[in-house]
Amino acid sequence: MDFSADDLEKVRARLRFKVCYDVGFACPDVDDIVQESLIRFLAATRENKIQNPEAAGAFLNGICRNVILEYRRRNLRDEPMPEVMPEPARESIQDTDLFELRQAISRGLDQLSERDRRVLRAFYLEEKSKEEILKSTGLTDENFRVVLCRAKERFRAIYVAQTQHRGPSRHS
Amino acid sequence: MWPRRNIAALRVTLSYMSVDFHEDPVRREQTIARYLGRRLGADQAGQWESHYLSCQDCFEEMRASEWLIRGLGEPVVERKLVNGVAVLQFARGTQLLAASLELTELSKAIHMESDRKVLIDLSTVSRIDSTGLGVLMQCYCHAVKNDGALKLLRPDAPVRRVLNMTKIDLVLQTFEDEAAAIESFGPSA
Repeated sequence: MDFSADDLEKVRARLRFKVCYDVGFACPDVDDIVQESLIRFLAATRENKIQNPEAAGAFLNGICRNVILEYRRRNLRDEPMPEVMPEPARESIQDTDLFELRQAISRGLDQLSERDRRVLRAFYLEEKSKEEILKSTGLTDENFRVVLCRAKERFRAIYVAQTQHRGPSRHS
Repeated sequence: MWPRRNIAALRVTLSYMSVDFHEDPVRREQTIARYLGRRLGADQAGQWESHYLSCQDCFEEMRASEWLIRGLGEPVVERKLVNGVAVLQFARGTQLLAASLELTELSKAIHMESDRKVLIDLSTVSRIDSTGLGVLMQCYCHAVKNDGALKLLRPDAPVRRVLNMTKIDLVLQTFEDEAAAIESFGPSA
């Protein structure tokens, strides 16, 4: 398995999200965990340890889980050093970028109709099932899919535009 | 013999493992929403992570959903307290119509809080219908019943016209300047 620089950058972004999800977005050691996981993963690919390329994601996930477990064990084992304050996590998004992002999200929401917003709220925030939403709104299955896909298309465009604007090395 | 409960759980996990996330976008979105809300079981979360770690398309879908959820979760009505007066403002441009989410949120904001002096900023409201007027009057009654007052700030021309036509502006005092509006409530308690 060979990775181009671009592929590797994408894998890093995905892995970074997974690590942040597990250890918290404010953890100062996120990048170290990502780097260690990637090093082990690339070493394994060089040694042809991944026999099924389709299982590469699961393999990387397993490696990352182990690295996180080791990190947690190390943290528990090591004596706390109260006099040394941990370095605050580097802000992954600058204030200006955050403002732009909020603006973009707000613009995306403004493009949604009142009904669409109500449907999406019910689906994403109120944990209602598709059947419940169809019943309460009178939408057909097809309508519901259109609402979902239309909203997702807009927000995916916002996400892609934002990551391109911020450059490849600054994924949050 | 495995306990029946364990077998059921195993069956759920196995059925989940065989899911093709690309097959049904709605199912994928459900998984994403539950994962982002940390409501997915460990096995299912692991399965989804293994998938998006090798699938850029699904990863981008998840990030897009994350932003969509973030946007949907933003407060609709913002509240600030100035000299004891609660100033309510709509976070985005809106219309106060029968089906508006903002209307429900406004009503909730006034009935849930025990504010006696309320100023509603209507500068971002471009349209209002009879339901919207009804909710404003309900909020007004609620404030008056609690020995308080409710006033309006900067209504847009179409909204002002409706307030004028229905003579509601004779009941609900309207202001163009926030400072003057806050001063009109009298000294803060």
